[in-house]
Amino acid sequence: MPSELPKSGLLRRLGACIALAAALAVAPAASGEELKIAVAADVTSIDPHFYNLFPNNNIAEHIFDKLVRMDADSKMIPGLAVSWKTIDATTWEYKLRKDAKFSDGTPVTAEDVAFSIDRVPTIPNSPGLFTPYTKSIVSKQIVDPYTIRLKYATPYPLSPNDLSTIYIVSKKAATGATTEDFNTGKATIGSGPYKFVRYVNGDRVELVRNDGYWGDKPAFDKVTFKIIKNPAARMAALLSGDVDAIEQPPTADLARLKNDPKLTLSSKISHRVIYFNFDNLDRSSPDVTGKDGKPLATNPLRDVRVRRAFSKAINRPAIAERVMEGQAVPSGQLVSSHLFGYVPTLKPDAYDPEGAKKLLAEAGYPNGFNVVLHGPSGRYVNDEQIIQAVAQMLTRVGINAKVETAPMGPYSAKASKQEYSVTMVGWGASTGESSSPLRSLIATYDTATGSGAVNWGRYSNPKVDYLITQALQQVDDANRLNMLQRATELAMSDVAIMPIHFQFTIWATRKGVQYTPRTDEYTLAYQFKVAR
Amino acid sequence: MAGLALFALLVAAALLAPLISPQNPYDLAQIDVLDSKLPPGSLGGAGRHFWLGTDDQGRDMLSAIFYGLRISLFVGIVSTVCALAIGMAAGLLAAYAGGRTETLVMRVVDIQLSFPAILIALILIAVLGQGVGKVIAALVTVQWAYYARTVRGVALVERRREYIEAARCLALSPARIVFRHLLPNCLPPLIVVATVQVAAAIALEATLSFLGLGLPITEPSLGLLIANGYQYLLSGKYWISFFPGIALLLTIVSINLVADQLRDVLNPRLAR
Repeated sequence: MPSELPKSGLLRRLGACIALAAALAVAPAASGEELKIAVAADVTSIDPHFYNLFPNNNIAEHIFDKLVRMDADSKMIPGLAVSWKTIDATTWEYKLRKDAKFSDGTPVTAEDVAFSIDRVPTIPNSPGLFTPYTKSIVSKQIVDPYTIRLKYATPYPLSPNDLSTIYIVSKKAATGATTEDFNTGKATIGSGPYKFVRYVNGDRVELVRNDGYWGDKPAFDKVTFKIIKNPAARMAALLSGDVDAIEQPPTADLARLKNDPKLTLSSKISHRVIYFNFDNLDRSSPDVTGKDGKPLATNPLRDVRVRRAFSKAINRPAIAERVMEGQAVPSGQLVSSHLFGYVPTLKPDAYDPEGAKKLLAEAGYPNGFNVVLHGPSGRYVNDEQIIQAVAQMLTRVGINAKVETAPMGPYSAKASKQEYSVTMVGWGASTGESSSPLRSLIATYDTATGSGAVNWGRYSNPKVDYLITQALQQVDDANRLNMLQRATELAMSDVAIMPIHFQFTIWATRKGVQYTPRTDEYTLAYQFKVAR
Repeated sequence: MAGLALFALLVAAALLAPLISPQNPYDLAQIDVLDSKLPPGSLGGAGRHFWLGTDDQGRDMLSAIFYGLRISLFVGIVSTVCALAIGMAAGLLAAYAGGRTETLVMRVVDIQLSFPAILIALILIAVLGQGVGKVIAALVTVQWAYYARTVRGVALVERRREYIEAARCLALSPARIVFRHLLPNCLPPLIVVATVQVAAAIALEATLSFLGLGLPITEPSLGLLIANGYQYLLSGKYWISFFPGIALLLTIVSINLVADQLRDVLNPRLAR
């Protein structure tokens, strides 16, 4: 508050009222100045290489550029790189744009790109690095300040897809900088459409427009991301005018929101598949017991007939219709229909409880067994409700299911150590094609190559592995598509994981503000427009 | 008397829940997600009426409330009885033994009472994990100190009375003096405190469940039912949290009325 204002509390409040009234009076003209957005999840760091986590990346998308960007449909478009091509079988060349500048005024050069790629694996204490996207790079060659060549060990068609996840930081500002230096803003120098102002852990992130940005000028000068985890509270913040836009309004409210003349909704199918993992280890599975309550010596989930029975027992349309209020598309595979690698002929298993019982009987469990389903609470849209509905449906075919949920952090820590038998989780194909889920969720777990990093069930099929490895080396798109599709078909016929649906991502904005919905779920301030 | 009648009615409903409920809300085979979020009085898929509506999983709210009441009362009463036993023993020990033992016990009580109950319960649940037994353990830990302090206060007064001296002169064993002579005379205030604490335990359990830290989600207590319905309040589906809320309110009010009545009955100074 300016110092010349009177110090008395009453007078100050009066002054605030007058200021507020004045602000309200000029509000229509002022729209287009500041945008307040309520987001659903905590931002854990501003360092764009610290943790490959959706809420962190969502903020990094504003402050930092990438060589390759994704459009609203997860198709690659030029970012800092204006063009990219292969020079020989194993070398990619990226040409950088010459008008890109960091917010401190220095131009973005190939040196910064090389520095950023090198910085990725060096971050200490990271819960999840971006290394899967950089470790295939064998060497880098800076041809001139605006040309960089990346060399791979084998033909590597996914280089641009991989680089669409790596944020470019300023070599000058970030040399020797720690993650803490990014959080305070000291090293947070990027070339994105917005500049960093302030980050309050667990509360908010403030940004201001970067007028030196090379691309389209964002509509709003100032942006505040408020973190409001509870969906109902987020909704209330929008209705009361505290914020201009929110992500993930509660699905239960959608019918009412559609008819609210003061609000606009936008939605799009997400690239995120919601699915279940099955314990594939040869052991007495931790959460599986016989009907007598005693642990089973063998793990029934290793039998493909049992996994198929799970899948047939689930009424996916009912979940999409009743639990998700129509905001989901049932799925029988890893990526949604508009992404590369989708198999048009692969339909989700039809709801067939009798068929499920028959399969269980064939597998030697005519009376079923008991199982505990584990899942996150509050990470995905209606996650707890989905897992309970699945438990109901399994119980009806004889698989007595109990449900235990916990917040994503503690839950995923245990699930990733194979402490559970059946786990629900979601995966977004951030590279915009199906090799991302195939490599991370289906491929055999291997710390050396980074494959199967999120393969919680430890599913392993050498034939699928072979197809994935081969697909990754196919430079020809048609060949690669074919092999990715065959890998997907094989994995799905084996019920390697059990997909449930793709959720719709929904944004609600106040009238006068419009959002272009995105399949990658990002809430990007520069995609908001003023509607008149 | 109204309080006692209401409380008796609620206890009867809880005890007879399996007999009077139209549906077993914990048997997943009996609930259908296709019946979810139906308003009160709707006809469900299986041709059954849902008089208080259904929740987001298709559970009949009326049955869920009966069963929820069962859990809430069970957790409240069992934790109170356990806490009473532990607190009483500690308090009597402190009062009768005196000296260092008393100082030690009472300082522990002081430390415990200086923290808000909900904070201790939250930490314990976070450490122990979820489940009925663990919630009870957390509630006992939170509540025993109240009884210890109450019983010590009364016992200190009673200890100096002539009948205790008489018992001492007869060379009765300390255990016999404490349990046969001292304890019965300390009971009246304890009973009143315990009754009030049953209501407090139920409210605390509901709070824990509402925060998602109490009982498993497929076997909801009243607090969890309210939490489940809370997110639908803005969308007009009031019945999912409204009716369990009313049930919780009636339970707590009736127990408090009974406690008030008990206090009057047991207070010798009150003119009758």
